[in-house]
Amino acid sequence: MFDYILSTLIFFPALAAVFGFMIHKDSIRAYGVTVSAIELALSLWLWFIFDSNVAGMQFMENLPLLPAFGINYIVGVDGISLFIVILASFFTLIGIASLTDTKKVKNMIITLLFLQMTMIGVFVALDAILFYVFWELSLVPMLYIIGAWGGEKRIYASVKFFLYTFTGSLVMLVGMLFMAYFYYQATIDPITGVGIWSFAILDWHRLILPETYQLWLFGAFFMGFAIKVPMFPFHTWLPYAHGQAPTIGSVILAAILLKMGTYAFIRFSLPMFPDASVYFMFPIAIIAIIMIIYTAMVAYAQEDVKQVVAYSSVSHMGVIILGTFALNVEGISGSIFLMIAHGVVSGALFLLVGVIYDRRHTKMMSEFGGLASVMPIYATIFGVMLMASVGMPLTINFVGEFLSLLGFYQQSHILTLLAGIAIIVGAIYMLAAYKRLFFGEVTNEKNKNLPDVNKRELVALIPLTIITIWLGIYPKPVLEPINNSVEYVVQLMHDKSITEEAKTRIPNLVQASMQEVN
Amino acid sequence: MLEPINVSLESLNLMTLAPMLIPIIGALLIIVIDVIKGGLDKSLYVGLSMLFLIMDFGTLLDAAGVFAQTGTVMGVFDMMLIDGLAIISQFIIVGASMLFIPLALTHKRFHEFSYPEFFALFLFMIAGFQFMVATDNLILIFVGLETASLALYTLIAMHNRDKSFEAAVKYFTMGALAAGFFSFGSMVLYALTGSIEINQIAAVLQANNYTDIGYVLVAVTFLLASFAFKLSLVPFHTWAPDVYEGASASMAGYMSIVPKIAAFVVTMRLFEFLIHSGVVWLEVVLYVFVVVTMTAANIWALVQTDVKRMLAYSSISHAGFVMAAILIATTQANSALFLYWVLFSFTNLGAFSMLWMSRQKHLPDYQSSDHSFDKFAGMIKTAPVAALIMGLFMLSLAGIPPFALFWGKLYMISSAVTGGYTILALIMALNSAIAGYYYVKLIVYMFMKEPVTGNDGHVYVTNATLPLKSIIGFAAIGTIFAIVMLNPLLEFITAFVYNSGY
Repeated sequence: MFDYILSTLIFFPALAAVFGFMIHKDSIRAYGVTVSAIELALSLWLWFIFDSNVAGMQFMENLPLLPAFGINYIVGVDGISLFIVILASFFTLIGIASLTDTKKVKNMIITLLFLQMTMIGVFVALDAILFYVFWELSLVPMLYIIGAWGGEKRIYASVKFFLYTFTGSLVMLVGMLFMAYFYYQATIDPITGVGIWSFAILDWHRLILPETYQLWLFGAFFMGFAIKVPMFPFHTWLPYAHGQAPTIGSVILAAILLKMGTYAFIRFSLPMFPDASVYFMFPIAIIAIIMIIYTAMVAYAQEDVKQVVAYSSVSHMGVIILGTFALNVEGISGSIFLMIAHGVVSGALFLLVGVIYDRRHTKMMSEFGGLASVMPIYATIFGVMLMASVGMPLTINFVGEFLSLLGFYQQSHILTLLAGIAIIVGAIYMLAAYKRLFFGEVTNEKNKNLPDVNKRELVALIPLTIITIWLGIYPKPVLEPINNSVEYVVQLMHDKSITEEAKTRIPNLVQASMQEVN
Repeated sequence: MLEPINVSLESLNLMTLAPMLIPIIGALLIIVIDVIKGGLDKSLYVGLSMLFLIMDFGTLLDAAGVFAQTGTVMGVFDMMLIDGLAIISQFIIVGASMLFIPLALTHKRFHEFSYPEFFALFLFMIAGFQFMVATDNLILIFVGLETASLALYTLIAMHNRDKSFEAAVKYFTMGALAAGFFSFGSMVLYALTGSIEINQIAAVLQANNYTDIGYVLVAVTFLLASFAFKLSLVPFHTWAPDVYEGASASMAGYMSIVPKIAAFVVTMRLFEFLIHSGVVWLEVVLYVFVVVTMTAANIWALVQTDVKRMLAYSSISHAGFVMAAILIATTQANSALFLYWVLFSFTNLGAFSMLWMSRQKHLPDYQSSDHSFDKFAGMIKTAPVAALIMGLFMLSLAGIPPFALFWGKLYMISSAVTGGYTILALIMALNSAIAGYYYVKLIVYMFMKEPVTGNDGHVYVTNATLPLKSIIGFAAIGTIFAIVMLNPLLEFITAFVYNSGY
């Protein structure tokens, strides 16, 4: 059990999904909740047995799939991926538990369980091709969820989502094949003339490439990741996907699927191409700041409350990118923490939007107003999440945003200042949206008798609220393992980098700690 | 006074003929049985064909064992050449035929299968293809090609619809032209080198250091055009969609696999030495062929309203994709070609069999063609299992991992990367993205639209019988679990291709 816990985590939901076909549709929800609760328990167990003092990979498994070509089934978890795995199983449980749409509920739950397999797989895969398998496979359930349960333009939205991400990942695949080829060339034995094919990410981390190669490969991987995140100007698929997806689809998409892109930056781009990362640091930071400001402005102009949340979610992804490309421990740890925070908060916000959508079947803000007096509990929870979203101190988002900006401050004061101001200004649209929804008189007759949140919704929302505040006040249990693994990555980057600029931009932690001792 | 010819029987190595003789004997036997007692049920002929194909497969296993031990075997005055290429491609030919022939056992009665000639011709055709791949003698290649093609034209026409006749005549005309090109190209090569065996032609040309490059190019142009017809490379593809549409769905699936692998093997034998000879012109032409075939066929496939025509264009695109291997011409690329084709044969035969299973005798009002996209709307509601399987084949064709064809694409693109064709690798990847659209389009129809009124789901399984379902199930399992058999398959293919010197 200890040895195979990661494989269990990956394949248990898939196996359960296959058995799900046999279960009667009236009982399928209970089945789904049970399975995902077991999955969550397993992932919490993983946290429990996880040794936070170890910076490297733990619970590694290795099984040859296509050894002649260097493709193996390698999985492992470290501080960077651990909490995203937990987040993924947590949100699948919350998603299934709060599922209100009863149309074809059996198909939905089976699809969600398959989706869970791919999500966990992406975050624990340590072989590039295995990673790619799960990465691509995750598109299919999402395509179905958006396309079959979505709104009016659901087919357009789902196909756009699919093709956009599919195209980006194919370019990334070519990059992966090049990476494997370079590894092969680097390992050619001078006597036999035969190299070693390997797609193992840890092998690739050890490979030092010339700067020009790094730049091109960084570009190829960037195509795949940037579309997934999505970074400006590749973000256009996301508002459509969010706008048309059912609540559950948006929740999973915002909370987990987008994190694949930012996670992949940290797992692939930074340690493999440290010099290219430094080279592209400022262009990417500028894109990230444009993303923060531009999407905040677009969010302000939205009439649909779900679009507001969607654009704000893109805006915050910009902060994650900024933190990642600070290329130091504070920034990267902060961005990983912000991934968790963003998952919790934007997932909760989408759930909250789903609550009023279920009651009124509209998401237009003009239809609402004065809800605070009709639905006080709802308004309170929404308020807490909103504050978290704009980065109030003592909420989970604040920790992540603060650390990310702190990290980038060491690279550039001006850009950080710009980003900081943009985040503060970004609060305006959220508060404006809150005002339109909750304050003032109840003008619309239909809103007068709306029931407040019911038990099922509370079951989903209360844990999220608790986490938001708990980790906002005391982030240490999560931050510490993240920090350990990130220090390892940063040191690796420093040691590997070849250009002078990269050596100075990426801090040398060994030296720093030596000085502290002295 | 002429000397009496003195040849020892051992040196003829007649065993090299065994794999081809078995289907020929089978075909003759079927005709004899029909002469003795007519009006027998098709299941008898299906069973007999299957038996002979299995025996054929057995002799191939034997030949593979011999090859693994002693290497390439020549026989019958060096006409037969049993090398790794010949063995792998015969495995594909016979294997795909074994998947195809049970598809004749449909629930509804179809015209062509009631004739025993169908099965006899089918076996003759297989023998023809086997001759074609197991020799490097241009005349024997020609004989094999024509035996197979003439049989195939007839098989298409036997589907007995207006469109089938049109398809057969079209295919025949184009095929005759291609045959003319082939014989002309061969003639020029013979005139240049005095030999009709590819390896000797190569040796003579290399010895002359390609002095008559102009004539070589003329020969190559004609040969290339002839094989471009057979492989349906753009712009020689125009027959393909119409022929696929006119032929029965199962035959169309078969045609997208077996004749093409035979043609690929001959192309590989012919162009391997020419590519390595450093004739830049040939490389450019092949490059253009590959890119244009992949891209143009993909774009045409986007606008099709009939699933079968869509799959026809997609097959053309896949052929272009695989043609890249001929251009790259490394051991990895050549192995990738065979790996791709094995995986493709599973998936594509599966997809076409699904269409075949849903083939109606009469078109209902709401359908504009046999397999229009509308017919599959809302399939998940009316026939969920069939929809899932069809969706699976589409995902595999689109190259979504971990399904079969993804691994083929992966290895093929990797061979482009290692062969130094960076731009080509990118074009191949982007073409997979374009292709994603039309495969997903069918999935959208099946999973996200409402069924057309009057369609209660029976249509998808009108032809379903146990043999058909087994074949489809087999293809589906092969598609899902391709990763399990990948490693031995790749090792086998690479070893055989490498030991044949390609």
